Amino acid sequence: MESCLNIINKDEANNFANYLACPSCDLLFDVSMLADGESARCSRCGNFLTTYRTNELSHVIAYTSSALILLALACSYPFMSFKSNGLESVMTLPETALRLLSNGMPTLAFLVAAFIIIIPALVVVLILGLSVALKLERHYRWLRPAGKLVYHLQNWSMVEVFFIGVLVSLVKIGHMATVIMGASFWSYAVFSLFFVLSLSSLDRVQCWRRIGALQP
Amino acid sequence: MHVRKANSMERTLALLVTACVLYIPANLLPIMITDQLGQPTESTIIGGVVLLINMGSVSIAMVIFFASVMIPLSKLAMMFYLCWSVRNGPPETVRQRTVLYRVTEFIGKWSMIDVFVVAILVALINLTNLLVIHPGGAAIAFAGVVMVSMLAAESFDPRLMWDQRDGKDE
Repeated sequence: MESCLNIINKDEANNFANYLACPSCDLLFDVSMLADGESARCSRCGNFLTTYRTNELSHVIAYTSSALILLALACSYPFMSFKSNGLESVMTLPETALRLLSNGMPTLAFLVAAFIIIIPALVVVLILGLSVALKLERHYRWLRPAGKLVYHLQNWSMVEVFFIGVLVSLVKIGHMATVIMGASFWSYAVFSLFFVLSLSSLDRVQCWRRIGALQP
Repeated sequence: MHVRKANSMERTLALLVTACVLYIPANLLPIMITDQLGQPTESTIIGGVVLLINMGSVSIAMVIFFASVMIPLSKLAMMFYLCWSVRNGPPETVRQRTVLYRVTEFIGKWSMIDVFVVAILVALINLTNLLVIHPGGAAIAFAGVVMVSMLAAESFDPRLMWDQRDGKDE
């Protein structure tokens, strides 16, 4: 459900807490009167603005805790194994980066590890911390930096891109050997689902409004 | 409310030029070296696409072609156009250009597919003396292209385009 918001006069913007400038074109909106489940879009450029949900934080806590457990499982079991002429080699998720390191490419190893494990893990931990603090209505100094970091880092997580990479690799080597998916593959697949759910259910604007409301 | 991005235009253009320069070694160097029974075979990004077509997996070849050639090139072209349009673009298309900017922001990371494929194959195929895969120099150059062009999209401020329109309104 989407409601069309009225453009407000810039002179009226004295109560900043309720006003929001469209991140893509800077037009000002009042987003304080959204009802539970309602979303708002910018009337000038069509950019998505915010969705308001009363029980948002409980959902986010559930999704992020599940995501963390699944990521831990995905890092500890074999991801794929490859059998050819009686020989077998097994790969784990962290090994995608570690083998690049042993091949003399530390920068690439770091980038791969960051894009598929470190950044997603960091984003999930930060969202969990934020939503627990907001749920308990406690104010901490790290809330603002953590919030900024989450929204900055989320563009850099490439869990879904990695999955397409897995699919392409399967096609490339499928004809020369038997490839078996391990427990880690399935945990990582479900992790990617919960990762997207955690990100999409924590609304950026509402998160900042809640942080703002907690400030003494 | 968000603070404007500082020196948005200069930063974006510098990063775009860097990405263009990195795109050259990314296509000339091998991305992957397959060592079969001691005989190394090098393959480039385009070589990998041709190999997949010869193997009969046309759809996967198209995925790689889109991710490694079409997306990075069109992203660079779109970003250059957006930078140019801040000063010279027709004001009435600003809404479409904002949509174009959101598209460039979204598609950027999908170019990483080929780098991940290399990382997976290097880690998975490691049968000593029989079949080993090593990463090539293009992998790091290409990862650089993707990263730098994502940074370029991040440093571009779409509000500059709306400023031009607001300036004409008044």
